[in-house]
Amino acid sequence: MSGKRILVAGASTKWGSELIRALLNEPEVGEIIGLDSSPPTRDLGSTRFIEADIRDPGLSKLLPSLSPDIVVHCGIVWYPEKGRPSRALHDINVIGTLQLLAACEKTQGLEALVVRGSAAIYGSGPGAPAFFTEDMARRLPLETRFQRDIGELEGYFDNFARRRPEVVCCMLRFEVEVGPGLDNAFVRYLNLPVVPTRMGYDPRLQLLHADDATGAIVAATLNPVRGPVNVAPDGAISLSRLLRLCGKTTIGLPPLVSGLINRRVGDFVGSADLYRDGELLFRYGRGCDNTRLREEIGYELAFDSEGTARDFARATNRIPQLFPAPHPGSPVRSVER
Amino acid sequence: MNGLPTPTAEAVTEWAATVQSTSDKILRRLAGEYHEDEWGFDEEFTETVFPIFEFLYSKWWRVETVGVSNVPAHGRALLVANHSGAIFPFDATMIATAIQKEHPLPRWVRSMVLNWAFDLPYLSFIMRRLGGVAANSANLGRLLEEDEPVMVFPEGSRGFAKPFAERYRLQRFGRGGFVEVALETGSPIVPVAVVGAEEIYPKLGEAGPLGRLFGSPHIPITPTFPWLGPLGLLPLPSRWRIEFLEPIDLSGYGPGSSADRSLVFDISEQVRDAIQQALYRGLVERGPAFA
Repeated sequence: MSGKRILVAGASTKWGSELIRALLNEPEVGEIIGLDSSPPTRDLGSTRFIEADIRDPGLSKLLPSLSPDIVVHCGIVWYPEKGRPSRALHDINVIGTLQLLAACEKTQGLEALVVRGSAAIYGSGPGAPAFFTEDMARRLPLETRFQRDIGELEGYFDNFARRRPEVVCCMLRFEVEVGPGLDNAFVRYLNLPVVPTRMGYDPRLQLLHADDATGAIVAATLNPVRGPVNVAPDGAISLSRLLRLCGKTTIGLPPLVSGLINRRVGDFVGSADLYRDGELLFRYGRGCDNTRLREEIGYELAFDSEGTARDFARATNRIPQLFPAPHPGSPVRSVER
Repeated sequence: MNGLPTPTAEAVTEWAATVQSTSDKILRRLAGEYHEDEWGFDEEFTETVFPIFEFLYSKWWRVETVGVSNVPAHGRALLVANHSGAIFPFDATMIATAIQKEHPLPRWVRSMVLNWAFDLPYLSFIMRRLGGVAANSANLGRLLEEDEPVMVFPEGSRGFAKPFAERYRLQRFGRGGFVEVALETGSPIVPVAVVGAEEIYPKLGEAGPLGRLFGSPHIPITPTFPWLGPLGLLPLPSRWRIEFLEPIDLSGYGPGSSADRSLVFDISEQVRDAIQQALYRGLVERGPAFA
């Protein structure tokens, strides 16, 4: 076999299967091995699927026997759901990553390890840099459970990278993904009939298009670089403008009410007690610098934040708008009358 | 419109056109069809509220601006000014207005805003739309790299919240972080002395506990605030004078020099001294505040 052997942990997750489906068309890829605790729901072509839980200590026997050249970890879960509280998330994210790293230690000839992490490690705050660069990871204290989990697993990851300098270890920090047809808590939030926002705050957000989310991890798998890399789009958009582009009705919630309602909303859109992360993000927003992604991994983003918002609005905007926008070039009508 | 005399008909048409274009603009904005840059600066919004600042500039504070051509028309520039205001940072808005009105090639100046201000409801995003950015060296450096003019107030909250008795006495300039960034990015420093802003809200005391209740580190007590409620937020109509001083060129030092602490402090002191001298000079030039 000439091409590289790539193992994808978390192959049944949305992004794991997206990655595998994209890798199937790449000529340099020899064999793809998918690993997950449940079988994939989508067709993964010629992928060799192995049903295994990455939290299982048996992984350190399994992984070396497969002798992959590249390991991609797509099994980090962002949103706790009903029946999968944040404690279970800790288990999957931290313990799972730890087991995977331990298994990688025993794997001979491993060339690269790519982890699909989260930009949540940067946090959100009033005095935060408008564009976090990769070296600013722990500049703000890690406040939420999810942030601490991400912080912890990045710590293990850094340790591994130090111990095994011959392995190219690449930590991808993804911004919030949005895309037509995508199903995650943020998209479900945008699809609420009336969208609750925090009264008096209008965060500046970066929206990563689903196509770019897939494209970036494919690019990083084929050309991994050392250290953390932000996967974020160019530019930023304010939440209010995003909701207006989507033609949404919003309701601003005052501080005392918002805490209670946010929790309900969190339950409803399937982010359960992750709501604290969302609360901070919807208050202060966040932006990341994507220079490393563009210049070192060499991935060209198809959408900027505004483009993502427009693409999403086009696809989801089924309800007629209350105030349709006049055509930008339209002359002032009263003069004609 | 046949029955009406021509000038009236014209006025009506014109008025209708204004109403139409305004309502079109509002509808367009409600549909999200406007531009904001990656920092959240919304030029259209700024231009819409600009008449308020213009009124404050020419009618309310009768600002006299000196040396505006010292602000470079192109490329990066770091404007360093004395800070005051106690309630609202009107000095920043008036510096921006002065450049818009008086400069031959006007540009919108971004300003570095104290962190806690981005925690305040409404003000947080209004300031962002007007070009405010959280004050830290990462943001400052990035803006200057993008060749934007940026203003900083190195006195920070010490200057913003200084009592009336200490007006026009410059507070200490922090650690000189702005000089470090200016050296790294090779940006010229334009010292700015604002006279008049330190009289608009004469701060007599501090309502500390009340401030903490609202999540703001300080709430000032002035002769009118909080006694008169919202009316107490009305700034006093002092006479202003804004002086832009000769730019200090730092490009000769090279980016590595930002680690040289004594150089950083020297430049910081030089800037501070220039502003303090200009303040004394400006106070004499302007004469009494309320006349």
